[in-house]
Amino acid sequence: MTANTTQTEILRGPAAWLSALAAMAWKELTIMVRYPVEFIASFGQVFVIVTVLTLAGLMFSKGGADNAGASSQTAGLVVYGFIIFIFLSDTLWTIGYNVRREQKQGTLEQLYLSPASKFASLLSRVAVTLVWTGLLSVCSAVLMSVLIGTLPFHNVALGAAILALALSGTFGVGFAFAALTLRVREAGQTAANFFQFVFMLLCAPFFPFSGLPDWLRVVSRLIPLSYSVDAFRSTMMGYPNGYPELAPIGVEIGIVAAFGVLMPLLGYWLYKREEDRARRKGSISDY
Amino acid sequence: MAATYSPPTLGQSLSSALAEARLRFVNISRYPGQLVLEIIIPIVFAAMPMLLGRATAGAQAGANFEANTGTANYVAFLLIGSNVFTIVSNAFWHMAYWLRFEQETGTLESIYLTPTSSVTLALGLSIYSAVRALITASVSYIAGCLVFRVNPFQGDVLLACAFIAVGLIPVYAVALLFGALVLKVKESNALIGLMQWVVSFLMGIFFPVAVLPPVVRWVALAFPPTWMTNGARSALLGVGFFFDKWYWDMGVLWAFLLFTPLFSFWVFNRVENGVKRNEGMGQF
Repeated sequence: MTANTTQTEILRGPAAWLSALAAMAWKELTIMVRYPVEFIASFGQVFVIVTVLTLAGLMFSKGGADNAGASSQTAGLVVYGFIIFIFLSDTLWTIGYNVRREQKQGTLEQLYLSPASKFASLLSRVAVTLVWTGLLSVCSAVLMSVLIGTLPFHNVALGAAILALALSGTFGVGFAFAALTLRVREAGQTAANFFQFVFMLLCAPFFPFSGLPDWLRVVSRLIPLSYSVDAFRSTMMGYPNGYPELAPIGVEIGIVAAFGVLMPLLGYWLYKREEDRARRKGSISDY
Repeated sequence: MAATYSPPTLGQSLSSALAEARLRFVNISRYPGQLVLEIIIPIVFAAMPMLLGRATAGAQAGANFEANTGTANYVAFLLIGSNVFTIVSNAFWHMAYWLRFEQETGTLESIYLTPTSSVTLALGLSIYSAVRALITASVSYIAGCLVFRVNPFQGDVLLACAFIAVGLIPVYAVALLFGALVLKVKESNALIGLMQWVVSFLMGIFFPVAVLPPVVRWVALAFPPTWMTNGARSALLGVGFFFDKWYWDMGVLWAFLLFTPLFSFWVFNRVENGVKRNEGMGQF
């Protein structure tokens, strides 16, 4: 009896939950390093994307490719937008679409048979995104600043706080997307691509919001991620003339903070709902 | 009485290839959203540098672009690049992901137990992929031009189509080569992700390859999509063929068309046999 109680205590409580989360995050990181080609390829991919976008932008400048390294404002605009983009993109795939991958490989149902926390399982996927995408962001920022121009680097503490809140909100989007993937199954891949491209267009990570037509800018203002991009890059660029573009910085930080706090809760609630529905219908392992 | 095995005839192989293509068409007809997205993505993709260029260069955007590329029509230039990229990228995704998907779901080994050769199935997959990519890329180019208020039918449209059509065969041959790499390395997603961006870089998706450093430019010129893209751009926008006259550039694409498939089949068969001998077909 005493032994049973002790075992139950070991399996429950915050310490057990944290231990399970740490083990799951470690498992995700171990899997990541077991695929060295993927590891190196994703690094190479970021470098090529950066070069392609840089060369494309330079075609519009006087002097073209010879003009590389000249514009500091363009560098800040593109580099800081790219950081948010890469985090969102990786979150959609590693948190959201990974659920689908487990379904395809037939391991999702087995995960649900274990007594471990399902939320910890979802949250552990964030570890890979934080470690790997964080590293990629730093490297791409360095490369881009070499190619496009010296990176403006102001208000680092506030910029880091805005980025942290933006990432928290982005992870919430990842949880919500995982819920959507459970519902739409194979169409989740299309949905991930769709969200990525909607973000690229409406949240303007690679160009200023002033480049968008007026009617599209109205739509941009309805998306909290737009404020994350605008607030983060404006702060890091030291608020040059015309920035932030969507609202005064105080308002933008308020929106980003609300997004960072509420979106993970909303995302997890949606995931839980969809998970319960899938379990009731017996469709956890369907694909 | 022992059953004897005779290899499938050409007609039977063609029938298998068409059946494979039909299977894929039936499958994609269940996901119409993917097709819609394939039309939208190249437009959004081309819009990125367009919006950045317009916002940073202002009224000088067209003039600067002309000085760097040979045409002020940056909308069509970028749309041609992004759509040819979609065609090439689709070829790589469909070929490599087909093999990887079968591996992941555990059906690749079963496919190898049927009397149909994998190259026949790859041919069926290529027919499906090429038809799908050509339709979506054409619609996307026309829609993109209309959205950005540019005439999509300027220049020599037929010649541009000829460059794309001739370039398709070497592109799928290179994709088969890539499929062999996926069979060997087994990490398709990362490889395709990297490969599609390397392809976009080498073919000059948003810039002329003349801006690349000399060594990289030579590598780019050894790659069929570079000739496809420049051929289509030159035919429609007059940016200039690599060899000044269109028929020389077309001749190079034909040389690729004759050489690349033979080389790819040879490599694919070698890798396939190696994987089969080492019992790695069903592993992932």
